[in-house]
Amino acid sequence: MTIREKGYTHWDGHLLQTRFPWWPITRTGIKLTFKIKGFRLFFVFSLIPSIIYLVGIYVSERMENFRFMIKGSEKILQINPGYFKSYLTGDFLLFMMVMLLVFGGARLISDDLKNNALQLYFSRPIQTKDYFLGKASILLFFLLILTLVPGLVFFLFKLIFAASFAFVVAYPWLLLSIIIYSLLVTVFFASYTLLLSSLSKNKRYVAVLIFAVYLFSDIISAILNEIFRTPYVFLFSLKVNLQQMGALLFQQKAQYAVPWFYSFLVLAAVCALTVLVLRKKIKGVEVIK
Amino acid sequence: MAEPKSTQGSLTIRSVGEVFSFFLFLARRAKKTKVFFFLSLLPVVLVLVIKVNQILSSNPSVSVTSVFSNILMVFDLQFLVLILALFYGTSVCSEELEGKTLPYLATRPIPKSAIILGKYAAYTLLIVIMMAVSLVLSFMILNSSRLLTVSLYPELLRYLGVLVLGLICYTAFFTLLGTIMKRAILLGLVFGFGWESVIQYFPGSTQRFSIVHYLKSLLPSYPSGGFSFLLFRLEPTRPGLALLALALLTAAFLALACLAFTYKEYIFED
Amino acid sequence: MTAVIETKALSKWYGNVLGLSDVSLQIEAGITGLLGPNGAGKSTFMKLLTGQMKPNIGEVRISGSRVWNNFGLFARIGFCQEQDSFYEEVTGWEFIAGLLKFFHFSPAEIKTRAEKALEIVELLNDKDRLIRAYSRGMRQRLKFAQAIAHDPEIIILDEPLNGLDPLGKRKLIHLVKDYKSQGKVIIVSSHVLPEIEAMTSNIVLIHQGKILARGDIHYIRDLIESHPHIISIKCSRPRELASKFIAQDFILKVTFGPEPETLTVETHNRDKLFGLLPALLLDNGIEVEEITSPDDNLQAVFDYLVGK
Repeated sequence: MTIREKGYTHWDGHLLQTRFPWWPITRTGIKLTFKIKGFRLFFVFSLIPSIIYLVGIYVSERMENFRFMIKGSEKILQINPGYFKSYLTGDFLLFMMVMLLVFGGARLISDDLKNNALQLYFSRPIQTKDYFLGKASILLFFLLILTLVPGLVFFLFKLIFAASFAFVVAYPWLLLSIIIYSLLVTVFFASYTLLLSSLSKNKRYVAVLIFAVYLFSDIISAILNEIFRTPYVFLFSLKVNLQQMGALLFQQKAQYAVPWFYSFLVLAAVCALTVLVLRKKIKGVEVIK
Repeated sequence: MAEPKSTQGSLTIRSVGEVFSFFLFLARRAKKTKVFFFLSLLPVVLVLVIKVNQILSSNPSVSVTSVFSNILMVFDLQFLVLILALFYGTSVCSEELEGKTLPYLATRPIPKSAIILGKYAAYTLLIVIMMAVSLVLSFMILNSSRLLTVSLYPELLRYLGVLVLGLICYTAFFTLLGTIMKRAILLGLVFGFGWESVIQYFPGSTQRFSIVHYLKSLLPSYPSGGFSFLLFRLEPTRPGLALLALALLTAAFLALACLAFTYKEYIFED
Repeated sequence: MTAVIETKALSKWYGNVLGLSDVSLQIEAGITGLLGPNGAGKSTFMKLLTGQMKPNIGEVRISGSRVWNNFGLFARIGFCQEQDSFYEEVTGWEFIAGLLKFFHFSPAEIKTRAEKALEIVELLNDKDRLIRAYSRGMRQRLKFAQAIAHDPEIIILDEPLNGLDPLGKRKLIHLVKDYKSQGKVIIVSSHVLPEIEAMTSNIVLIHQGKILARGDIHYIRDLIESHPHIISIKCSRPRELASKFIAQDFILKVTFGPEPETLTVETHNRDKLFGLLPALLLDNGIEVEEITSPDDNLQAVFDYLVGK
């Protein structure tokens, strides 16, 4: 049979589906991110606030020993949901998370677009959702280490240092709040980063966009507030929306009198936009049977 | 036989001109330029919103002068200038490395310093035009009822001058960063939005270790009210000295960038 | 012939990895083929020749002048890099004309040269299309065009035939040979042996950063006396011919195959064998269909030299 007589046909066999087809993307992505020069140092540096807060939990249980140091500041070290909220929604932590995204997230999809690697992915038995989940999980890994892990560690160490379950009895929902908020903020930031990374083949440009859009949203809302004097302008600020959700989940008073579901809608809209844009980018390279 | 210095000098200048025209042409075509142009028009959109609000509202919360000096200048000086200068400044060297197009330039009979200076000049001109269009349009919208008042324009020119100087100096600094470092963007962000913001809170001479200090010393008026914290503890330098400092800094950054680019080896990540 | 390009003890490290080791070469006018597998050091050598990198040890001189930071030399050098990278948002014309500006030509001369270069590589009809829309082969030809547009004396081509179809390769090879006849110095690198063989017989073999051999391919082959020559003969009565060969002391080995009616002879004296062969064939009435020397090509030479 000559080559001309042989036609190309897709293989009709059954693919053995692995449970987590996105896992190789995540695993490789995490390894490559750790290989970036300076990333490890930067990542360790971003854990400093969590260490400070952990020390605060220790000091709060040994108030009598440290009273000389924290005269008048005992209120700061009251370990309650507000303490967890102040860490997880703190400006510094959110800023460090954005810098982490700039460092390790800008290249995630832009490099694939630059090197025409999408075709390499989609010539394998993975779907769009696997690609998205694989890439997002790289960011989720690092961001959860900054949010969920310290939150759970704080909770655990509070129980250990207090040597009682009074804290759990007082705030039985707190653990769930930590988990939900951590997932919310990490899923949002992962979507936000992948959205911007999919817009360009130039990772430098994406890095600037990640930072600029985040900062710009904050600045513009502050400016609009000066003009219009209404808290609803803070819906433009990504940071404020996250902080509003944090206030809701930790049952604290929100900084701005804006219903929480508006903030949630803004964050959800960014995630939805990410899905739409990624689907459009990938459609062109999907293998069509 | 070594060429006389005057010939070398004129060759360098000519080469700078050739690089400048080539990259200005390229930059005008780039999609990113359109994106940054629209970004630079955001203050115009903001100003339009403010103006419409002022027209519709009987008791506007902010005056025109206050909007310009408090809001617009602060936004432009502490955000837009930095973003534009950071991207285009680091692009001078980094885009040739990322795009692997450096050999096309490095194997031409032009001094390497001409490549840096020519590209720097092209990108700086581009972003100066963006900023100027944005500022002038914003100014005209805000002062639409008194455009014929001649006394307004020196102030506009002064504000424009401050922004242009900021772009020139910051772009030179980020050009230097781009020639010596791989992750220039990250360091640039830390410098621009970290160091430049934080150092202003330090009293005395420490403020002089930032570019923004000299730029703010040249402002015709300082923000008040809700934005006065941005100029907290400003101890301005005399305008003449501030100009000189900015000029010297720009020259130093560009000279170092040319030196680094000339003697450094750039190996592509294959 | 005087050497135009001269390297002395040229060595280059990438950190702890040795890219090029003690390369001393003199390259005259004509085509010099630089042959080696991927990672052999060909691109490193070319980058050192074109001043993109500075040698750690040794020096590179072109017409007696050092190359590193000597931009004046580049008026006489044309370089076609291996990477497929361009300023994508311009047309082919704008790319060539834009780069020609750096040679300080007048606008009229730029126009003439750009047209000529694009015509040579058959891209004149596509000159107003964006490079982004060019095919792989067109991009490769455009790279070549920018290397020759200013009519340089020295043309350095790093894997110039990558991405070209067979017709395109043939045309480019023909073009390179044309430049040789104009007295230019051309250095071509490739890891594809037939490409180098088609262009030149003046070869430099490079492997793991070292020059293994240099010269005419046949001369190189003859140098390797420790390795016997192999001649393959397809004839009507191979076994009969084999029995005649076995009696000769300069024949080391005789095997049959792989094709039917084919006899493979191994000898350390090829000249004696070819001297004897016609008489054997005529005297015994053996009809010959084909005589080839499977190892008289670069692959075999290369394999011998790297110890395969």
